[in-house]
Parts: sequence; C-alpha cells; structure tokens
Amino acid sequence: MDPSEVEFLAEKETVKIIPNFSLDKIYLIGGDLGPFNPGLPVDVPVWLALNLKQRQKCRIVPPAWMDVEKLEEIRELERKEDTFAPVPSPYYMELTKLLLNYASDNIPKADEIRTLVKDIWDTRIAKLRLSADSFISQLEAHAKLDNLTLMEINTIRAFLLDSLNCMYKLRSNLQPGSSKGQFTDY
Amino acid sequence: MPCERKPMRYGHSEGHTEVCFDDSGKFIVTCGNDGDVRIWEGLDDDDPKFITVGEKAYSLALKNGKLVTASSNNTVQIHTFPDGEPDGILTRFTTNATHVTFNSSGSRVAAGSSDFMVKVVEVSDSSQQKTLRGHEAPVLSVTFDPKDDFLASSSCDGSVVVWNIEEQSQLISWPLLQKTNDVSNAKSLCRLSWQPSAAKLLAVPVETKVHLYERGTWDHVSTLSDDLQTQLINVVAWSPCGRFLAAGSVGGSLTVWDVNSKLCVERQKHEKGFTVCGLAWSPSGSQVAYTDTEGCLGLLDGLSTSTSTTQAPTKKTAKDYDDLFDDDDDDRLMDEGLSDTNSPVKKPVARDDDDDDDDFLVPATGRVRNRGAVLDDENSLDTGSLKVGWDRFGDDEDSSAAAPAAPPLVPLRPVYEGPLPTAPQKAFQPGSTPAHLTHRFMMWNSVGIVRGYNDEQDNAIDVEFHDTAVHHAMHLTNSLGHSVADLSQEAVLLACPSTDELASKLQCFHFSSWDTNKEWMVDLPPGEDVRALCLGQGWAAVATSALMLRLFSIGGVQREIFSLPGNVVCMVGHGEQLLIVYHRAPGFDGEQALGVQLLQIGGRKKQLMIGESLPLSLRSHLCWLGFTAEGTPCYVDSDGVVRMLNRSLGNTWTPVCNTRETCKSKSDHYWVVGIHENPQQLRCIPCKGSRYPPTLPRPAVAILPFKLPLCQTSTEKGLMEEQYWRSVLFHNHFSFLSSSGYEVDEDGRTQSQKEQQELLMKMFALSCKLEREFRCVELAALMTQNVVTLAIRYASRSRRMALAQRLSEIALEKANQIQEEEPEEREEEPQHAAARRPSGYEVTGGRRGRRQEEEEERGEELREEEEENAQEMETGEEAGTRNRVTASVKEAASPVIPSLTPIGKVGRANPFKVLGSGTPSSSSAQPRATNILDNMASGRKSSPLSGSAGKPNKGPVLKPLAPRAKAKTQSTLLQMTSTKKKSQEVTPPAAEQQEPAEAPPPASPADNTENKRPKTGFQLWLEENRKSITADHPDLEETDVIKEAMGRFRTLSSEERLSWTERAKGQTGDADLKKRKRADGGGGGGGGNEHGQAEADENSAKKKKSLDPSAKLSAFAFNKN
Repeated sequence: MDPSEVEFLAEKETVKIIPNFSLDKIYLIGGDLGPFNPGLPVDVPVWLALNLKQRQKCRIVPPAWMDVEKLEEIRELERKEDTFAPVPSPYYMELTKLLLNYASDNIPKADEIRTLVKDIWDTRIAKLRLSADSFISQLEAHAKLDNLTLMEINTIRAFLLDSLNCMYKLRSNLQPGSSKGQFTDY
Repeated sequence: MPCERKPMRYGHSEGHTEVCFDDSGKFIVTCGNDGDVRIWEGLDDDDPKFITVGEKAYSLALKNGKLVTASSNNTVQIHTFPDGEPDGILTRFTTNATHVTFNSSGSRVAAGSSDFMVKVVEVSDSSQQKTLRGHEAPVLSVTFDPKDDFLASSSCDGSVVVWNIEEQSQLISWPLLQKTNDVSNAKSLCRLSWQPSAAKLLAVPVETKVHLYERGTWDHVSTLSDDLQTQLINVVAWSPCGRFLAAGSVGGSLTVWDVNSKLCVERQKHEKGFTVCGLAWSPSGSQVAYTDTEGCLGLLDGLSTSTSTTQAPTKKTAKDYDDLFDDDDDDRLMDEGLSDTNSPVKKPVARDDDDDDDDFLVPATGRVRNRGAVLDDENSLDTGSLKVGWDRFGDDEDSSAAAPAAPPLVPLRPVYEGPLPTAPQKAFQPGSTPAHLTHRFMMWNSVGIVRGYNDEQDNAIDVEFHDTAVHHAMHLTNSLGHSVADLSQEAVLLACPSTDELASKLQCFHFSSWDTNKEWMVDLPPGEDVRALCLGQGWAAVATSALMLRLFSIGGVQREIFSLPGNVVCMVGHGEQLLIVYHRAPGFDGEQALGVQLLQIGGRKKQLMIGESLPLSLRSHLCWLGFTAEGTPCYVDSDGVVRMLNRSLGNTWTPVCNTRETCKSKSDHYWVVGIHENPQQLRCIPCKGSRYPPTLPRPAVAILPFKLPLCQTSTEKGLMEEQYWRSVLFHNHFSFLSSSGYEVDEDGRTQSQKEQQELLMKMFALSCKLEREFRCVELAALMTQNVVTLAIRYASRSRRMALAQRLSEIALEKANQIQEEEPEEREEEPQHAAARRPSGYEVTGGRRGRRQEEEEERGEELREEEEENAQEMETGEEAGTRNRVTASVKEAASPVIPSLTPIGKVGRANPFKVLGSGTPSSSSAQPRATNILDNMASGRKSSPLSGSAGKPNKGPVLKPLAPRAKAKTQSTLLQMTSTKKKSQEVTPPAAEQQEPAEAPPPASPADNTENKRPKTGFQLWLEENRKSITADHPDLEETDVIKEAMGRFRTLSSEERLSWTERAKGQTGDADLKKRKRADGGGGGGGGNEHGQAEADENSAKKKKSLDPSAKLSAFAFNKN
C-alpha cells in the first residue's frame, strides 16, 4: 500500500469549514453535504475542504485535537507509556500534513503543531521498530499492537514482511540439515 | 465623601485576586488565579505589564521595589519591581501561603500559610526567619504592627491572634470568627489591618462589622458598622493617614468609615455585586483600588481623605443620602444635620471637637449625649429638607431608647431608604465587543464582521464579509477614531464621537452604489454625539446624545427626524423595520427599565410598537438586540435568555432559549451573533470564561437549538407540547411576511403546518391512551379540519364513541367556520387549502398556481364555453340567476374564473329546480362515509367547485367545446347579459358557493340528460321548507331565498342536521355506479368527456384518500413503551 493511498483514505475524514459562499445541499454518492451558509461552520470531507480552501472559498477550522496543549499532552503520554497510546485521530499524521500544507494560515501555531505531531510520530515509529526488533529477536510467533494507525502499519509492513519472509527462508534452510547440511550445499 | 466609581476592568481569570499600589502610587499591581501579576499604569492602562509568578498567585505585597508573592508552588518569592526579574525565594511552606505582607519599613515580610504557620522573614536575609506556631487551622491573614513589635493574624480556627514577634509567642487571642477547615471554605477572608501612622488600632472584620482593638491594652474600643451593611466584610484597609478605614464585603459593597467619628463616609457598591477580595489605598489616599473574585479590578477615585483636605468643601453626591447611617445614633443625627443635601460644607473636624474623644473611648455613652443640642444645630443648618426619611428616623428613635421624645416637628434630613436606582446601561452596538479593547469586534452580524484595531502600529478597521460574493474584504484606516459600526448587504456605516475640535461624524461606505462615489460623510450638529446606529434596507438610522433619531437614505439624503423618549441603548434595522431600545426610566435594584419602539420605515410608515417596556430577566441588562433572518425582533439579556417577539399574541415577548443552560462553567457565555427561524438556529460564539470573544484566534460560530421553557419537557407530553408551540411560534413569520407583502417560502410553510398537525395528532393519541378525553377535545380544537377527521377515526377505532361524537361536533364547527371565511380568503389561507384536502384534492397549492397560469390561454375557450352555455340556456328565472352568477363570477378574482364553466353547466341542471327528482347524493357513496364525513361534505362544497373546475381545464388537451356555428349568433346575447349583470351584487356567487348541496359539482351533460342529481340534507330540507320561506318573505329573489334558507338551516341543531343528512343518504342509491357510468358515458361532447375525466380523477383521488388515513394513523399509533 502506497502512502498516497493511505492519504487518499484520510481525505474521507470530515473537517469543519467556514464557507464564504452560499450553496444549497449537494447530493453526492458518499452522502449529502451542506447546506453551505456563509460564516456558518459545516462538516465536509477533507478533500472538499482542501479543494475549497485552494479556491479561497472557505476557512478550515482545525480539528479539536490539533491544538498545542492537547498535542503536548499526547506527546507526554506517548513518551511515558511503553505501549502505543491512543492517538487523537486514526489519520492524525495524514491530516496534519494535509491541513498544514494547504491551510496553515487557518491553524494557529502551525509550526509548533507540525513539530509536535512529528515528535509523536517519531516516538511511535521508534516504539514500533523496537517492538519489531524484540519480536524478531525473541522469535515470537505473534504480537499484539493496539492503537496503531494505518499509516504506521503501512510504513513497516513492507519491511517487516519481507524481512520475516527472508528470515523464514533462511531458517527453513538452516533447520533440516543443521549446520552441516548447509555446508554441503555450498 | 464624594468619589467616583470607575468602571471595572477585567484583569485576571475567575478566582481570588489581590491588589496593591506601588510606593509612588503610580502603579496598581494585581495578582490573581492565573498566576500573573499585572502592573497597571492607572486603571485606563489597556495593556498592563505582567509577570508570571506561578500557576496561581494567592497574595502579593509590594514595597521598596520588591514584589513578594505567594504562589501555588508553596513558596513566597521575590521579584524586582517594576522589572519583574525573579529575585529569589523568601521562604517555603508545606502548602501554599495564603497572605503575605510587608512591615512598614519593608525590611520584613510576614506570610501566613495553609499549614497553620506564620513566618516572619527578613527580606535581606531569608535565613533569618521566625515561625509563629499556634493556629489550629489555615491562616487567613497577617498584618504587622507598624512599630514592628507585634503581628496579628487571623485563622480559620476562628481566632484572631496578636503575637509578639521577638518572643514568637501569642500575646492575646480572640475567638471572633466562624470556624472552618480551609481558606476556600471560609465565609470571610478576614483581612486584618493595623492603623498605619499612629499604630493605635487594629481593625478586625467580624461578620458585618469592623472591631477596633487598641494596641497595648488590646481592648475592644469600638465597632464600626453600617446599617446597610448586611454582608460579611471580607477585607479592611486603612487609609495612609490612618483616619479612614475602607472595607469590602462578600456582597460587593465598599464602605469607608471615618474612624474618629465612626461615621460611614462613603458607600459604594460593586457594579455587579461580586465579592471584593482585595482592597488597597493609594499612597496619596485619594484612590481605593479593589478587586473581586471574578478577576476584575475597580477603582474609587477622588476620595478626599487626607487630613489637610478635611475642610475642603465636599459636595454630596446623590448617592450619599443613604450613606449616613451609623450605629451611633448621635453621630448619625449629627451627620444628618451636617450633610444635609443642601449643605455645601462638611466639617468633620468641628465635629471632632465636640464628640470625637468621648465617642472614641466610650462609644456606648454616645447615645445619651444631648440630643437636643444636636437637633438644634441641625435646625440651624437645615435649609430645606424633605420628609422622606421621617418614618425611618422615627423607627430609629424607638430603637434607641435614650430618646423617646424626639420632637416630631423637627424638619429632618431627607432619608431615602427605598430601592436604589441602578446605573443605566450604556449605549452599545449589538454584536460588538467592549470599546476599551485594542482589538475588538465593532460588529458581527449575519452579513460580516467589522473589526477595529487600535494599538501603536495601527489604527484601522477591517471589514470582512461572510459571503465574499457580497463584497471583497476592506481595510480602512481609522483616522477619525470611529467607535461604532454597522454592516449590511449594501453599506458599512461608521461613526465617531465628537472631540474638542471635531464634530461627531457619520461615515458611510456605500459599496453597493452603482456610481463611482462609494462614500459619504455627515457631520452632526455641535454637541450631538452618535450613540447608536443601524442600517436597514435602503436607509440608515442614527440615535444621538440629543435624544434624536436621524434617518438617512443609504445614499446620504437626510430623511425623517424624530425625538426619542429616552437615552438610546441600542437599535437595529432589518428590511423596513427599525427597532429601538431606550431607557424608559431609571431602573431600581439592579433592574434596567427599558422601552422598545418598533417602526416600519419605507413604503407604509407606521409605528408597530409604541414604547412598550422590554422584559428582561431579574437584575440583568440587555446584551444583544436583533432581528431574525426572517425579520422577527428578538434580544438577549445578560442572563443569556433569548426572547422573541410573538406577533400572533399581541406583540408579546416569548423566551425561546436560555444560552446559560448549555454553558459548562459558570463563567462561560454565549455571544449571540444571529438568529434564524427557518431552520431554527441560534448562531452564537461560545466564550470560555468571558462574555465576549477575542478577535484572535478567530472564534467559530456554534449553533444552539431553541427550547421554550415549558413545564415538564422531560415527559413525552411536555416534549411534544414544547415542540408544537415552538413550531407555532417560529412560523409566525410566514404570516407576517405575507401580510407585509414579501415572498413566502410556501413549501416551508406547508411543511411546518404538517409538522404541527402531526404533533397535535401525536398528542391526541397520547391523551387517548391516557384516557384524557377532555384533553383530546381540547387538542382537536387546535387541529385543522382534515386532521380532526383523522382524530375521529382514531377515536372511533379505539372505541371511544363519546369522544368521536364530540369531535364530530368540532369538525362541523370548523367546517362552518371555514365556509364562512372562505369567500374572502379562499386564496390566501393555506390552512384552508389544507382543510380542503379531504375533498379529494391533494395538491391544491400547486394546482392553483398552475391554474392561474393557464388562465390566460384558457380565456378564449372560456368564452366559447360561455357561449355554449348561453346557447343552451333556458330563458326564465333560473337562467337569469345563473347567468348573473356567471357574469359576476367572471368579474371576480381570477381563481374563481375556473368555476365558471361548471357553474354554468350545473346551472343547466339547476340544483334548486331538480331537487324534486330525488337523485341520490354521490358524496354519501364514498366508502368511508360516516355521518361526520357527510356533514363535512358541506364544508368542502365550495372547494370542489373551484378545484374540480380547474382540473379538467388543466388537462393536457383543451378541445373546443361546441360547434361554433351556433355560438356566433349567441355571443352578442351573452355579451349583453353579462355586461348588464355586471353591475349587480356580488353576493350570488357567494350564495352559490355556500350552498351546501353541491358536493360533486361537475355534472356532465350526460348527467344532465339523465337528470341524476346528487343531493344532500340541506337540499332535502330546503325542499320542504322552501314554501315557508317564500311565504315569510314573498319579495325574495331566488338567491335570497337560498341565503335565507342557509341561515335557517344553520340554526338547526346538529342532531336535526344529522337527521337530514341521514335522509339524504337514505335516498342514495348506487351513486358509485352512476359515477362510473358518467365517466364512461362521457360521449356527450368534448366538454362532457373532460368532465368525466375529471370525475374519474376525483374518484381516484377520493379512493386514495380513503386509504390514506389508516396509513397515516398507523404512523401516529402511540407506542406505550
């Protein structure tokens, strides 16, 4: 799975916007959106929000969790816990990236938020690597990882699967003939 | 003592605050729950410096450039002042310190703590500290003896203790206070204060009084009290000169006593009545700063208390008339005399000479002093006192037993002790934040936002539109200092107050103007200031300080001008309506007495509300005023209650929402920006911990639902009642809009009607289940007629025959009512359109519209039809009547025209003539016929006429009706008759319409030949009674006879009428069959064919209808779970 595909999925998340135009309800396959009243917040999917934002048709209201204090709390929790702490949104990384790239003027303290989210991400990825490492080194058959987001899974999936496959191959070669057998192959 | 109470400033977040002055008196320093120490350069400092000392700051003290604070990290820290650099930690406790104070020289700091200890620390060397142990509860307050020997402290254990600092021992302890377990639970903070210069007295607030203890002897030498002081005193503070003592109470009152005379010399009330928790005199003694538990800072200015000014003339302010009571009767009298309203000079010093020492030492003896002398004095001074306070005076005399024989003839100082007037609220623009802010909203309404910036870099105004399609955002430099603004789809209106050189100006940016000049400006006459302004559609209004309302056109033409009855509070415009709120009279006891005026400007100028009083919640003021998007006036008071005008109940105000109910915390508020009735939305901005939002970060609008404060809305019944009445209230605007000639959203209207009827039906079902039949009938009275029929069905299905019977009476009544109203209102009232529906026309509204469109194209054909009719007309009386009918119908409004054809044709088979043939009524043949439905037939007879008449013509193919050859010859005749009859009365059609016999009116020619006429009870009755009518009134014409008959028939009892309809039914044979026949056998010409079709349509509609109710009923079925 491509990160861009994950991002595509994240674009389905809803976000509040304040439109500066007026439009009746629009009926889409995915559901009805609107009505849009100028000055009145309305929930729309991220893809639409970004599109409107780029056309300067709306202001985006950042999600409640996209706030320095809340993110700091989450970061602290993430650092304190050994396991994965719950994240504010299953697409927190993607949303942060999307919103900050296109609507940083609507988000107070955008830079701090970017740093904080990156910190959280780094902490989590480090944990993920660590757990992958211990998973492999302890030769466990299965592991349980809660609160992982799709993006995080996605970053490690390719590597983990490939390397496990590879290791499996190596092991299966190793076991039947023990060390001697292998040497005979060469 | 005159003084001016300055408006409160917001300083800290909610919670305990403290205040002090710096040594020079230049700065006011406050600390609060937000952990900041703010340094205010005077009260008007808009941008106070702040030092963050911790998460919370409990207390502060300032001396010699050192700022000592007690913060939540259990330390007492020093900061330099005014730089705010941290300068080390003075001492620590195991829990937070509650009060810190300097000694007079500033060399030591005393701190009391919640860990029951008091510490005295040298500022220069914090290692030298003395700990005073002995309290058994958190320490409330500490104060140094100015001579540095002693220290007094109060504690939650109820004691006030004087310590010897050197020996670290308790000298004396008074159990004066109520015991509590924590500072936060203490009723009073009991801030002690030691007289500064003389160091003679220690002031201890004890409940509502202040006890004074003498240094050395530690005797309780006197008590300062005030009759009007009913709340616990929280803090006391001595003036720097040591003569005056100020006290702040839990209830927000501020009192200043002259200690020598023990008189209350100043009494002020906190503007909102919050608890005063910090109090400080400026070093000059002319100001008292105070803070409250809501984090606001206030200032009393102009206190002339220094000893040198005692002889200066002091003018009594109007407020002071009640300031003069004191425990000590003599002194009170004395003071009364001295401070008589007209007495320009107050001589405390002179008084000191007489009685000060005595009083001071032996206050109890004060009462037996020579009253007469005092009173004489008073007489001599008195110039013209009022008698207002006489009773009061008498009472006091009784209570002070010393003077039972007070001479009643002595003119007395006016004493007023009734309710006190409230300060009238200032004029404001609804949707703006306070003017003292540097960045503020000058206007936030449904069109856009006007922001004002006024700081060092910029003095500008930003205008931004919610809908960028209106106009792009504007940035204006605010060189004139505009302070009020309004914004509409057409223009931005700004105004500034007058200055010394410049007059008050009104500036308008008329951006929607089509010429190149987008701006105009007007100077107001000198001495007149703009107080409030608003924009409507094509006009602007300005209320000025000269109680004047000036109207301008949007292009800048001066229009009407009129005087306002009082000082304006605010005003708003919407379309052609102008709503003004003004001060009707002074309010009392915290109330505002506001009046409201609603005017219609524009086409039809008139005053809709003439100075009615505006109902506000108790002790609240107006916060927002506006119109809903649909044009209904509404407003919000400071208690968060939103009220809306109910035009259908004689312009009363109905509370529709309480925004405070949805607030999470006490200090949260909603700042309303707009109201919509359809959909029901209250648009507002949630403000955490304040009443209004900051400009940054940009606040987001939230939507609150409305809720009428009906009883028991938790029950299903209450809930539905609330929904019903809310729906009714919020759809009043439809009738207002249509009556004032605006376009109305018909869909929304019918929708709401449907919703209301559904709710009624649900309530009906609920009441039925609960066996509340009387209530059912009451509900049925609110229903429209067709819903009543549903209700009847529901009742009869649930075997409540008595109920069904009563309901049928109601239905009958309603039918009659509609019948009477209809001739005038057949087009206007959608309610009636709904009522007509049971007669088989589901979509009357839409059809009517189309009918009108088709009217023109049909004009020709109609004429042809007419011709045909005329041709077939018989000569004779009936024909004459009929023709007159056609003629006048033609005259009548367009919607009636469609009925022309059928009437004409029906006329051929004149109902009155063919009565005798005894043809059955087709209406009774309906499958769901019951007696009530039969009766209802009379209610719908006129609508079918017009409705079904419109129908055939609406058919896709409109064929010429008859051979033209004949028509030619007859056309002239018709013309003649119709013109001749035009002058005749218009009543015949009405009579014809009212005539209840015609349930299925369109009789085809085929029908005519067969001479099968439907018949109803009225016809039967008419048949029998015709003779008696004609006998009674031989001179009556045919139509008048029918009218007369109608009247008589109506006077019959319902049972009789029922019996007639029964009879009519009895005669009914196979109407259905005949109908079908009619439909099939429509070969009697093109016209007949069409009518047959119509009939068929109608039949199917009826059939559908007959199925409908049960389906609907199932939806209403009450689910008891």
